[in-house]
Amino acid sequence: MNNTSSILCLFFLFGAVEDFLIHDLYELAAFAEQQPTSEKLKQGITQVLSIIDTQHQPWLNGMELLDDALHNKHVLSTGCEGFAYLLPQMLQRSTWVMLYTWTQATLSHPQRIAQFVGHIAGRAFDEAGKRIFQRIMNSIVCHSVFDIFTMFNVLHWLVINFPSQLQKGGQVRLLIVDSISSLITLILGNSGSQGRALMISAGYMLKKLAHEHNVAVLVTNHTVGGERGIPKPTLGQTWKSIPHVRLLLSGDHGHNVRSISVLRHPFMLKNAPVKGLLQGCKVFDLGGTAWLFQFILATLHEKVGRLNDVEN
Amino acid sequence: MEVGRLPISASQRGKLISAGYTTLTSLSSLSPSDLARDLKIRESEALEILKVASHDCRLDQPEKSNGIFTGAQTAWEMLHEEQSFPRITTSCADLDNILGGGINCKEVTEIGGVPGIGKTQLGIQLAVNVQIPVDFGGLGGKAVYIDTEGSFMVERALQIAEASVVDMSHYNELLRKELRTCQVEIQPTDILKNIFYFRICSYTEQIALINHLDKFILEHKDVKIVIIDSVTFHFRQDFEDLALRTRLLGGMALKLMNLANKYNLAVVIFNQVTTKHKEGSFQLSLALGDSWSHCCTNRVILYWNGDERNAHIDKSPSLKSASAPFSVTRKGIRNSASNHKRIKLM
Repeated sequence: MNNTSSILCLFFLFGAVEDFLIHDLYELAAFAEQQPTSEKLKQGITQVLSIIDTQHQPWLNGMELLDDALHNKHVLSTGCEGFAYLLPQMLQRSTWVMLYTWTQATLSHPQRIAQFVGHIAGRAFDEAGKRIFQRIMNSIVCHSVFDIFTMFNVLHWLVINFPSQLQKGGQVRLLIVDSISSLITLILGNSGSQGRALMISAGYMLKKLAHEHNVAVLVTNHTVGGERGIPKPTLGQTWKSIPHVRLLLSGDHGHNVRSISVLRHPFMLKNAPVKGLLQGCKVFDLGGTAWLFQFILATLHEKVGRLNDVEN
Repeated sequence: MEVGRLPISASQRGKLISAGYTTLTSLSSLSPSDLARDLKIRESEALEILKVASHDCRLDQPEKSNGIFTGAQTAWEMLHEEQSFPRITTSCADLDNILGGGINCKEVTEIGGVPGIGKTQLGIQLAVNVQIPVDFGGLGGKAVYIDTEGSFMVERALQIAEASVVDMSHYNELLRKELRTCQVEIQPTDILKNIFYFRICSYTEQIALINHLDKFILEHKDVKIVIIDSVTFHFRQDFEDLALRTRLLGGMALKLMNLANKYNLAVVIFNQVTTKHKEGSFQLSLALGDSWSHCCTNRVILYWNGDERNAHIDKSPSLKSASAPFSVTRKGIRNSASNHKRIKLM
């Protein structure tokens, strides 16, 4: 008896794998007994279950997880020595940093980025400096997105094209969505769960991307007035659990001093001093955007240093 | 579930899933009539679903060409593009200075201030200035003026246009002394003809117009500025559901940003002020709340400093926070007179 025909029998009964999975297995077996083609059906059930079994993510033990954390996850610097703690393995395995920014509120400002690059390179733009500058600017890719479905498309494209990017050596290391809240607040209505479902699937996609491809994901969020007028991040309780790390930026109006506090971090207590901030395979949620470009470019710091060595 | 990320309505998605269509490939070789029968919907609706599905399906093929998502740009390309854009002058040199040369195209700029500070004047001035021909360092574009408060005065626009033409001929004479001439062919009446004026009487009309703008600008490609005076007016009246208001305004801001980006034009939004209770005292701040304040790229606040009008850059991703005085004269927005005196004294 061939496998396909037994699976086909099942297919006629259930239609989709999802429909099959929601049934109780014992009930299924009992049901199969009563059917005229019980042999075929039972075989089909075992077959499908074994296929499903191979589809789930592999089990990892603690050592393998540690190994993954040490070799595949990287900490990206924020460029601010006050709280950045550069780990030695930073960027060591990445071949070339490529950034995707989606800008909403701050439609990206290449001139501002140019200033940061100049600052990081720490020298006037001579010939070699210009080349580095151009390469850095070329590794920042920006896509304007004005609704959540376009963002899904871009994310999906990114996942599909990961293998080909690896071959070319230009792998995405940092993904910035600026800002996620302007896309999501629009679809969160008072009634209906559709908006909520889209928000969760956006969060899920970002987490998956971060985990499977070792990309640091940074999303920016807005703030609204909370209790006693103290600003709090938007998007509510559901979103709260999606990012691994939540940082809140605040600044006195009219003063140039900005501060950052940790609302949530897997290794840290609330309001503890911040150490390494942006780690590959984590999803981040930031309140506020002004600090963003400093951050993007600072992640390239090491890269520039290395390029300088190459050029000289 | 792949159909989960299709831009279709919740009921359509529910019907698709319950009919067993969960993947994009399951939709790829289907005829609209088959889908309409399975989902018990109209054929036109089924066709729409298939259209979005096939668009998404095309994304699934890895692109070999450049490794960049269609429509994406690198920062290098953007830098070069940005340098080639002229800015729209405000006719006040001090104000232009702090704005980095004027109002930037491809950006949404919000300008707010107390009544009588000169918001509408600045709006009219910008609608005129966007038409300064390329030979004179302008954009030679047209303007869309969306008036929600009924404060646009055509006589005033004519006055400002006339002053602008006079300024251009002065400039021309200066040039003639140097070496060459470029004729001022533009007439004040031409300037008025190139301002497309929309009078809006309710927030429904406002939303409808913003949705229509895309089509309008597609037909009038030389529109280089969209002025909304003011975005606030109708949204402050009889609006009880504040969460809905936030969503509507957020959606509007995204549409305006999309317009600015797509057609390389400047969007200028005027806002009113409100009092806000903060740390025990009442302070003036721009209306529409905290969520709205995230929506615009740049934010300029106009305020009185004694007898003098001032503009302050409150928020900008690329500009330093700074203030500059300006004045409203018969000719339009100009440098503050007292400022000139001060410079002369120095």
